[in-house]
Amino acid sequence: MPSVLPPVLSVQNLSVSMRGSNGFVPVLENLSFDVAEGKTMALVGESGCGKSMTALAIMRLLPEDFIVTSGSIMLDGGDVLAATPAQLRGLRGNKMSMIFQEPMTALNPLYTVGDQIGEVLRQHRKLGRRDATEQAINFLRAVQIPAAEKRVHAYPHQLSGGMRQRVMIAMALACRPKLLIADEPTTALDVTVQAQIFDLLSQLQDETETSIVLITHDLGAVAELADDVAVLYAGRCIEKGTSHEVISHARHPYTRGLMACVPHLQLGPATRNTQLELEEIPGMVPPLGARGPDCAFLPRCASAGDVCRTQPQPPLESVEAHAAVSCWRHREIAP
Amino acid sequence: MTSIDTPALPRDASTLPSRPAISPTLVALRQFCRSPSGVAGAAVLLILVLTTVFGPHFYGIDPLDLVDAPFTPPGEDAWLGTDYLGRDILAGLIHGGRATLTVGGVAAIITIAIGVTIGSLSGFFGGVIDTALVKITEFFQILPPLLFAMVLVTLFGQTLTTVTIAIGVVSWPTAARLTRAEFLRLRNLDFVKASRAAGAGNGHLILRVVLPNALPPIIVSATMAIGVAILFEGGLSFLGLGDPNTMSWGLMIGQNRNYVLDGWWTVIFPGAAIFVAVLAISLIGDGINDAINPRLRKRG
Amino acid sequence: MNLLLHIVRQLANAIGLLFAVLVLNFCLIHAAPGDPAMVIAGEMGGASADVIAALRIKYGLDKSLFEQLFTYMSKVVTGDFGFSYYFNEPVVSLILQRIPATLYLVIAALVMSVVIGTLLGVVSARKPNGLFSQGVTVIALAGYAAPVFWTGLMLLLLFGSVWPILPVSGMIDVVRPKTGFAHVLDIIQHLILPSTTLALVFIAQYSRLARVNMIDALTADYVRTARAKGLPETIVIGKHALRNTLIPIVTVAGLQFGHLFAGAVLVETVFSWPGMGRLVFDSILRRDYPTLLAVLFFSAVLVMAANIVTDLVYRLIDPRIRSGAR
Repeated sequence: MPSVLPPVLSVQNLSVSMRGSNGFVPVLENLSFDVAEGKTMALVGESGCGKSMTALAIMRLLPEDFIVTSGSIMLDGGDVLAATPAQLRGLRGNKMSMIFQEPMTALNPLYTVGDQIGEVLRQHRKLGRRDATEQAINFLRAVQIPAAEKRVHAYPHQLSGGMRQRVMIAMALACRPKLLIADEPTTALDVTVQAQIFDLLSQLQDETETSIVLITHDLGAVAELADDVAVLYAGRCIEKGTSHEVISHARHPYTRGLMACVPHLQLGPATRNTQLELEEIPGMVPPLGARGPDCAFLPRCASAGDVCRTQPQPPLESVEAHAAVSCWRHREIAP
Repeated sequence: MTSIDTPALPRDASTLPSRPAISPTLVALRQFCRSPSGVAGAAVLLILVLTTVFGPHFYGIDPLDLVDAPFTPPGEDAWLGTDYLGRDILAGLIHGGRATLTVGGVAAIITIAIGVTIGSLSGFFGGVIDTALVKITEFFQILPPLLFAMVLVTLFGQTLTTVTIAIGVVSWPTAARLTRAEFLRLRNLDFVKASRAAGAGNGHLILRVVLPNALPPIIVSATMAIGVAILFEGGLSFLGLGDPNTMSWGLMIGQNRNYVLDGWWTVIFPGAAIFVAVLAISLIGDGINDAINPRLRKRG
Repeated sequence: MNLLLHIVRQLANAIGLLFAVLVLNFCLIHAAPGDPAMVIAGEMGGASADVIAALRIKYGLDKSLFEQLFTYMSKVVTGDFGFSYYFNEPVVSLILQRIPATLYLVIAALVMSVVIGTLLGVVSARKPNGLFSQGVTVIALAGYAAPVFWTGLMLLLLFGSVWPILPVSGMIDVVRPKTGFAHVLDIIQHLILPSTTLALVFIAQYSRLARVNMIDALTADYVRTARAKGLPETIVIGKHALRNTLIPIVTVAGLQFGHLFAGAVLVETVFSWPGMGRLVFDSILRRDYPTLLAVLFFSAVLVMAANIVTDLVYRLIDPRIRSGAR
C-alpha cells in the first residue's frame, strides 16, 4: 500500500566523494530512497559499501575529507544539505538522531549515562538539570534497563555492551525524533543481545511512529524489522524494493550471495542451530578509487556473461511495482 | 655498474650484497631527511659542533684573557662585546660550547645507560626485581632533579666530571620508565617467546632480541636527554655550580647575571647559544620521532 | 576501591619514600669528601673548634655508622634538621619561613601553565595545520628550548630598564602597606614576572600535549555522538573533548612537579624571590650543607604532596579510576 503522506526522509541522487591526493574519489553514487513515517528502511551490504557514509551524510557528520557532491536530502520537508550550522543543531538529536556501532566508544567515558541522556533534553527541550535527570530515568525504563534510578548515575564502563546500546537508544529517542538512523547497532554485541536490541527498536518504533534507517549486513534483521531495503555494493545501489520482495525474490547475484550467507533466514528460529552448508561470496569489495565504469560486482560475480564485460554499470531498473535491480542478466538469473 | 646477479633489487641496495633489503635504519633516515625542521636542526647542531671544535683555530682570543675594558659593547673592538671583567664574549661562546656540548653528550649517555639498564631489567624480569626497581625509580622521581644535582655538585666538588655525573644520576628515571614500558610490551610477543623456546638465555634475549626492538623510542629519548643535560649544565653554572676553571655557556650567564642591566650582551648571547643548541636538538628529536612513528607525523 | 584506604596507602608509601630520602641525606654527608662534622657544620659557617667538637658528640660521630644513622634519624624525626651557622637559625624555621613564597610562585606558575597551555593546545587543535596552530608549535619549541634563567633575565632586562612597568625584584615593596588588599596586590605585582617566567617552559609542554590529545579527542566516537545530539560546539569541545584532554595533562603536570620546583630555584634567584630556591642559592654560596640537605628533604615532601593531590584530581576527572576499572 503506497503511502499518501510525503516521506519523512527523502534522499535523491545522493553522491559522496572523498578528497584524495589525486582529486575526488567517489564513495557513494546516485543513491535514492524514501522513508515514510513509522517505516523502516534498511541499507544492506558488506563493510566499505557506503552504508555508513550515507548515514553520516544524512546527519551532516561526514568526516573532514568527505563531501556531498550532488543530490538532495529532505527531512520532513526541510533541506538538510542547505541547513545552517544553527539549524543543523536544531535538527540533530531532535528531529533526527543516530545510534552507532560501538556503544563503548560512542558514549563519553567520563560522564554518567544520566548526564549524557539528559544533555539532549537540556539542549532541545530546555529542561533543567533535575527535570532532565528525571526524564532520563523514564527513558532508561523505556529501554528496559532495570533499576533505572540507580543506573542513571552509572558510568558507561559500569554497564554491559547491551546496556550501553540501550542507553544510546534512549539518548537517540529522548526528543522523539522523526528519524532514527541505526548504524549497525548490534554488530558489537553478543548474538542473544542482538535480538533483544532489535525487538526493543521495533517495539519503540510502534510506540513513537519514528522512521528508521537501519544499516546492517544482517539480512535476518532486515526480514524481521525492515519495510523496505536497498542493497549497496561499492557505493552503488544494486537492488532495492520492499524487504519482502527483495528477500523472497532476490534478483541481483550479490543479494543472492548475501542471502546464502545467512543460515536461518526464512527457516524459522527452530532450525537456527542446524548445521547448514554456508556459502560465502569469494573476493572482496573493490577499494575506493579502484571502481571502474563497469558493473562493480563483476570481478566477484559467478553469473557474469559477455554483456556484463562490455557494458557499463547497469541502471537501476524497475522490475516490479516495488522492486528494482541493477543487473544486466537479472532475467536469466532470477526469472 | 649493472647488477646481473640480482636484477630484482634496486641498484643502490645491490651494491651491498650482505644486505638483501633496505634496512629499517636507512628507511628511517630517509624519512628523517624529509622533515625540513629535523634537517635544519641537524644542520644547526653540526655548525655549532664544528664552531666549537675548529673555532679556536680561527678566532685566536683566549676566553679568560682580559682583552678590553669591562662592558665594552658589541662593536669593532669586540664583536660581541666584553663581560664584567673585560673578557671577550665571542671567545667565551666558542670555547664555552665545548664544555657545554660535551657535558650534554656525556651526561645523556650516562642518563640513558642507567635508565635503559634499570628499565630493561625491570620490564624483562618483572616480579620482585620489577617492584624493587620501580620503587628506586619512584624514589629518584620525588627528588627535584636539578636540586638533587645541585646538592651532589656542592658536596662532591665543582668539576666538569662531577657536574656531568650529577646530571646523569638525576635524570635517568624518565628513560627507565620508558624502557620498562617498552620491555613490558615486547617481552610476551611471539618472536621473543620463539627465541626463548629456541634456548636463548636471558642476556641474549635482553640485549639481542628485545632491546633492538625497543630502540626507537629510546633513541628519541636519548636525543632529548642531550638537550635536557645542556639546560641542566646551564642551570647549575648559572647558580655558580659550574667548573669555575672551564668556560661554559652557563658559566658566562652565571658570572654576568648581576650585571645584566650594565651590559645586556654579556647574558643574552650565551643564553641564545644554549637556546639554539637545545632547539636544534629537540628539532632533531622530533624529526627522529616522526621518522620512526608515522602515525604522529600524519597528525601534523 | 575505598578512597580512604587508598589515601592511607598513598601516605604510607610517601612516608616510606621520605624516610629513604633521609637515609640518602645521611649517606651524602658521609660520602662527601672531608670530615662529616665539617659537612654538618657547613664549611663556611664559621665553625669553630668548639662547635665541631660539640657536633661530634651530638651526632655521635665517633660511634659506628649504624648508630650514627640512628642518632641522625631520631633528631630529624623530632624536627631537628640541624643549625645553620650562616643564618644563625635552626634550619627548620628557616625553611618554614621560605615555603609560602615558593608555594605562591610554584602554584601560580602551575595554574598559569595548565590553563594557558591547555587553551593554546585546544584552540590550535581546531585547525591543526592553520596559522595559529603553527604559531603554537613554534612557541612550544622555543619555550622548551629557552633556559628558564635566561628567559627570566631577558624579562628582567625588558621590565627593568626598557619598559619599567612591573617590579623585577623581591616579593614586596618596602614603602607599600603590609596589610590588607594593598599588600596582596603588591605581592601579586611582584609575582607576575617570576611566575610567567617559570610558567613559559611548562606552557610550551602542555600546549603540545593538549594539542595532540585534543586532535585525538576530536576524532573520537563520543565527540561524534555529541555532535549527533545537536550540542553546540562550545559544549562538544568544552565539555566532551576537553575533559578527556585534561587527563594526560594532569598526569604530566603531577609528574613534573619536581621540575617545576627545580625551575623555581632558578627563577627565585633571578628575581630575588625570597623562597626556598633563594635559600638554596644562598646555602650553596656559603656551603651551608644542613640547610641544603633539609631543602632537598622538604622539596621531596612537597613533590610527594603534589603527587597525592594529582592522584586525587585524576580520580575526580576520570570515573574509571575511581571504580578501579583501569
